[in-house]
Amino acid sequence: MLKSIPIFGLFAVVIAAGISVSRAADDPAAHWAYQPIVAPAIPQIEGAKSPIDAFVLARLQEAKLTPSPEAAPHTLLRRIYLDLTGLLPTPKEIVAFEAAWQKDSEAAYSAKVDELLASPHFGERWARHWLDLARYADSDGYLGDDMRLWAWIYRDWVIDAINADQPFDQFSLEQLAGDLLPKPTQQQIVAAGFHRNNLKNTEVGSDFELDRVKQVVDRTATTGNAWLGLTVACAECHDHKHDAVSQKEFFQLYAFFNNTKDADLGIELASDSGWTAPVYHDKPDAKISDKELGKRKKASTPKAQSLVELGEKDRRETFVHIRGDYTQHGDAVSPATPAALHSLTTAKDKTPTRIDLAHWLFDDKNPITPRVLANRVWQRLFGIGIVSTSDDFGTHGAPPTHPQLLDWLAGEYRRLGWSRKQMIRTIVLSSTYRQSSANTQPELPNDLLWRQNSVRVSAETVRDIHLSASGLLSRKIGGPGVYPPLPEFVAEVGRSVSWPESKGEDRYRRGTYIVLKRTVLYPMLTAFDAPDTSVACSRRDSTNTPMQALTLLNDPVFFECAEVIGREAYETHGNKLDAAITDLMRRSLNRPPTDAELNALKNAHRDFLKSTTSADDAESEGGATDPQLAMIATARVVLNLDEFITRD
Amino acid sequence: MIDPSQFATNASRRRFLQTTASGLGTVALAQLLQDDGLLAAPGSNSLTRAPHFAPKAKRCIYLFMEGGPSQMDLFDPKPKLNELDGQAMPESLLEGVKFSFTKKETARLMGSPRTFKKYGQCGMDMSDLVPHLTEHADDIAMVRSAYCDQFNHLPGQLLMLTGSPFRGAPTLGSWLNYGLGSASHDLPGYVVMTTLGRGLPGGSASWSSGFLPSNYSGALFRNQGSPVLNLENPPGITPEMQARSIAAVNELNQQRFSDSGQAEIASRIRNYELAFRMQSAAPELSDLSGESPATLEAYGLNRVDKTGFESSFARNCLLARRLVERGTRFVTLFLSTWDQHSNLDSELATNTKISDQPVAALLTDLKERGLLDETLVVWGGEFGRTPLGENRSGFKTVTGRDHHPYSFSLWMAGGGVKGGQVIGKTDEIGWGVEEDPIHVHDLHATILHLFGFDHEELTYRFQGRDFRLTDVHGNVVKKLLA
Repeated sequence: MLKSIPIFGLFAVVIAAGISVSRAADDPAAHWAYQPIVAPAIPQIEGAKSPIDAFVLARLQEAKLTPSPEAAPHTLLRRIYLDLTGLLPTPKEIVAFEAAWQKDSEAAYSAKVDELLASPHFGERWARHWLDLARYADSDGYLGDDMRLWAWIYRDWVIDAINADQPFDQFSLEQLAGDLLPKPTQQQIVAAGFHRNNLKNTEVGSDFELDRVKQVVDRTATTGNAWLGLTVACAECHDHKHDAVSQKEFFQLYAFFNNTKDADLGIELASDSGWTAPVYHDKPDAKISDKELGKRKKASTPKAQSLVELGEKDRRETFVHIRGDYTQHGDAVSPATPAALHSLTTAKDKTPTRIDLAHWLFDDKNPITPRVLANRVWQRLFGIGIVSTSDDFGTHGAPPTHPQLLDWLAGEYRRLGWSRKQMIRTIVLSSTYRQSSANTQPELPNDLLWRQNSVRVSAETVRDIHLSASGLLSRKIGGPGVYPPLPEFVAEVGRSVSWPESKGEDRYRRGTYIVLKRTVLYPMLTAFDAPDTSVACSRRDSTNTPMQALTLLNDPVFFECAEVIGREAYETHGNKLDAAITDLMRRSLNRPPTDAELNALKNAHRDFLKSTTSADDAESEGGATDPQLAMIATARVVLNLDEFITRD
Repeated sequence: MIDPSQFATNASRRRFLQTTASGLGTVALAQLLQDDGLLAAPGSNSLTRAPHFAPKAKRCIYLFMEGGPSQMDLFDPKPKLNELDGQAMPESLLEGVKFSFTKKETARLMGSPRTFKKYGQCGMDMSDLVPHLTEHADDIAMVRSAYCDQFNHLPGQLLMLTGSPFRGAPTLGSWLNYGLGSASHDLPGYVVMTTLGRGLPGGSASWSSGFLPSNYSGALFRNQGSPVLNLENPPGITPEMQARSIAAVNELNQQRFSDSGQAEIASRIRNYELAFRMQSAAPELSDLSGESPATLEAYGLNRVDKTGFESSFARNCLLARRLVERGTRFVTLFLSTWDQHSNLDSELATNTKISDQPVAALLTDLKERGLLDETLVVWGGEFGRTPLGENRSGFKTVTGRDHHPYSFSLWMAGGGVKGGQVIGKTDEIGWGVEEDPIHVHDLHATILHLFGFDHEELTYRFQGRDFRLTDVHGNVVKKLLA
C-alpha cells in the first residue's frame, strides 16, 4: 500500500509502506502521459460532423447515451462571446446574428466565430488565462510590496501576441528565452519577463540568497506546470518513486534558470503600440506617499522587466539541495531534461540553454507538452479538461476521459502550426461544443460529454459583463493598470499602500486591467476566485458563496450598471413594462423572457413601485412613485440572476 | 449528483415563493429556511470534514500582536540580563546568528527597566505593563519557549499564520473552517479585524485561504459603520425592496433550476438567502446598544487617545466575543505594531495601554458567559525581541531591540488549555530555549488537536500533493492540554 505523507511548502514525500504492490505505474516511464502520441484512428460514426464529434459519440454510444441537441441560437451566441472575448453581444449584434442565422445557421455561426477570433477582445480574454499561469501581478508581494510599475508591458505583450496568433511554440520560446535569442527584439525582451512575475522578497535584512533560490524554484515549477503538466516542485526535496522527475532531475531543470539576473531594461515603445507612459497626478488626491510619487516620476522611462543571462565569470554552479535546503549541497548538476521524456539534443560539448529547453518542449518527439496544451484549450471551452487535473499529468493526476480525443487534439494542435486560434476554432465548430448544457439527467455525470457544461464565468468576466451589458465598458486595450474605487479600510491593510482611484474611462476598464497589488487584491475579484498570484494557476476554483451574492447585489460598480440599464429601459419604453423588461433581459441574458419570467418581473416591478412611494404619499391618492427607480431595481434583479454570471 | 434532500428544500421554497410572490416581508424570508447554512462552506467542493476525536475547543480568538512583542519586558523576567546590562554577549552565542539590523560586533546586552511580580495561585511572572492581565494568571498557559526559524516579519508572520514562510498557503482560520465549517447561520465562519499603525506586511495574505477554495478566506470586518464590504444596500434601495429583490432573484433562479437542472443554481439560491440574513446579522453584531455600560467600561471602549487605537482595539475585542457567541469559528484581531527597534520603553507601554485592559476584559467576559471553556484564546506575535540593544547604523542611541526568533513568549487560554502554568524556560539572558522548545508547527499541531484534529490527517490535495498545516513537522504539546 502506498502512503502519501502530506506536507507543505515545496516538500512532499511518497513512501512505500507495508507490502509493495507491483504494477505498471511503478515504472514512471510506463505512465500513459509519457507514451508517444500516435495518431488515433477516427471512429466511423454516422452523423459525426468532425473528428472531435466522432471520438465523443463513440464513447457515448458505448455507454448507450445520446448527445444533447444543439443549444438555442441565443445561448450559442452568448457562449461564444463569453468563451472567446469574455464580453456580451450588444443588442445590435444579437439582431444581426439572428437574421443571419435565419438565412443559414451554419454560415452565421462560423462567421461569428471568425469575427470573434479576430476581435482584439479575444486577446484580452485568452491573455487572462495565460496570466494565471504566469502568476502575473503588479507588485513584489512581500513586505513593502513594491509596485512593479512596468509589469503591464508584459501583460500587454501577452494580449498582443495572442491577438496576433503567435504560434504557441514561438510564444513559449520568447517567454522562456527571449533574452537569449540572437539580436532579440524589444518584444522578445519583454516576453522574457514571464519569469519575472514571481514573488520577490525585498524586506531589509532578509536572506536574499534564500529568496533567489525560491524564485528559481518557482521558475522551474512554473515551467513544469505550464508546459509539462508536471508538479516537478515535489521533487525539490526528495525522490518520489512513482514520479517522472527525480530530485536530481529537478535540479537539472533548475539549472536552466539558475544563471540569470533580473534586469530592468529601458525600452522604446512604438507610438502605435498603445504602450504609453502612465500619467500621474502631481498632486494626487488619493494618499500617495512622497516616496511612491518620486518613484513613479523616476520611472517614467519604460522598462522591460526581463532576465539577463550571467556572463562567464559570474556563472553559478548548480547543486542538488539536500532536503531542499540550499545551504546543503549534494551532487553538482548541469542543465538537462528528465529521462522519462524524450531526449534533449544540443550541439556537442555545449551546455544546453533555455533556448534548447524551449525547443525541446516543442520537439516532435515530446509526448506531453502537446497533450497538456491541447487539454488546457479544451478546459477553457468546456470548464473542465479531458484530463481534469490540468496541472498534473503525472501518476497522481486524473486519467483522461477521452484519451484518443486528447491525442488527436494534441496532434492537431501541432498540425495547425500551434495556432491557438485555429485550435479553438476547431473545437468551437464541433457539435460537441455546441450542445445544450441543460442538465436533463441530474443523476448522470458528464464525463462523457453528453451535454456542454454550464460554467460560472470567471471573476474578471463577472465585472466585464456588467460593464458590457450596461454599455459602460471602456474598450481600450492595454496600458497601465487601473484602480477602481476601493473603501479605505480595505486598502489600508497593506503597508504604505496607495490606491489612487482611477478617473473617467479608466473606472470602466475590464477586470484584467485592475492593478494586481499582491497585499491588497481587489476584493471583488478574490470573491469570485481570481488566483492570489503566488504560484502558477492552471485551473481556478469555482466557489459559490454569500459574499458573492452581497457583491452582486450591492457593489457600487454593479449597481451603477443596473442604474444605467434600468434608466435607459425606462427612458426608451416608459410604462410599457413588457417591452422594457424584454429589453433588460436581452441586454443581460441575451434572450427574451419566458412568460413566467415576464410575470415574475412585472410583479416584482409592481412591488418596487409601491415601495418607492413614501408612507406619506401613499395616504393620498396617486402618491408620487418613482418608476425609474422601480425599473432600476428590476434591472438589478436580472443582473443578479445565476444565468447572468453563467456561461450555459 | 444532487442530494435528494435538496428537492425537499426546493419544494418548500417554491411553495413559499408561490404564496408570497408579492409584498414579501423581511422577517418571513429570514425565517423561511431551514438552517442549512454552513456559511463558510457552501461551495461545491466544500465538504465539511468531521473532527477525528472529540474537540475541546469550538472557537478561537487569535490576538495577533504583529511585529514581535518584547518577551523580557512582558512575561519572561531576566534578572541576569539586567545585571549584565551594557556588556558584550559571549561570542559563542553569536556564532552563525543573523540579525536584521543589529551590528553584532558592537552590540551590548540590554536589561529591562520593567518590574515583575508573581500573580495568581500559580505565581506567574508578569511585568508592570500588563496590570489587567495579571488577574488571569491562573487562566493562562504561558509559553516562554516558543521559537521559529524566520527572523523577518512577513516570513515569520506567514509561518505563524499558515505554517509556511512563503506566500500561498492557507491560514489557520481557513484550515479550521475547512475542517469544521462555521457554526453560524448568518455570519462568516472566519472574521478578521484590525487595529493598524503601519499596515500589515502581508496585507490580505494574512487571512488568505491560500490554495484552499476562496470561501475559506477570512472576511475582513471593519469595526465602524457597515462591518462588511457590500453589506449596505445601494442608495435608494430600501430594506423592503432588497427583500423583494432577493425573493424575485430566487424565484427566477428557481424557475431556471427547474428548467436546466444545474445544481449550482440551488446553491446560488441558498447563498442569496444567507447574504440576506447576513445583512441583518452583521449590523446587529456591531450594534453595541444591548451591551451594559459596565461591559463597555470593562473593555475600555470609551477610552480616548490621539490615534483612536485604544477604543478601536477595545471594540474589536468586544466584537470578537459577540462573534464567537454567534457561532463564528475563528476570529483574528491584528494589533500593529510591536516592532520596537527603538523607543521600546515608551512604545511598548503604548501598546500595552491599548491592549491590556480589553484583552483581560475579553477573558473575564468569556469566562462569565461560560464561553471560555470552548473558546481558545491565543495571544502572540511572529517572534520575540533580542536581549541585545539594537545598534543599527544611523541610530544615535540604543533604545530598542531587534527581531529574535530563537525564543519568545506567547500565551493561550480556554478551549481545553491547562491554565495557571508556565511552559518552557529560556537561558539566563533570554537568548535561547533551555526547556520544552515549542516550534510554531508544534503550536499548530496543538491547536488542531484542541479542535479535534490529528494534524497529520487534516489534508488538502493541491497540485498533485496532499498539504497540511504542519508540513512534515509538529508535535502536540501535551503540557498545554487540560
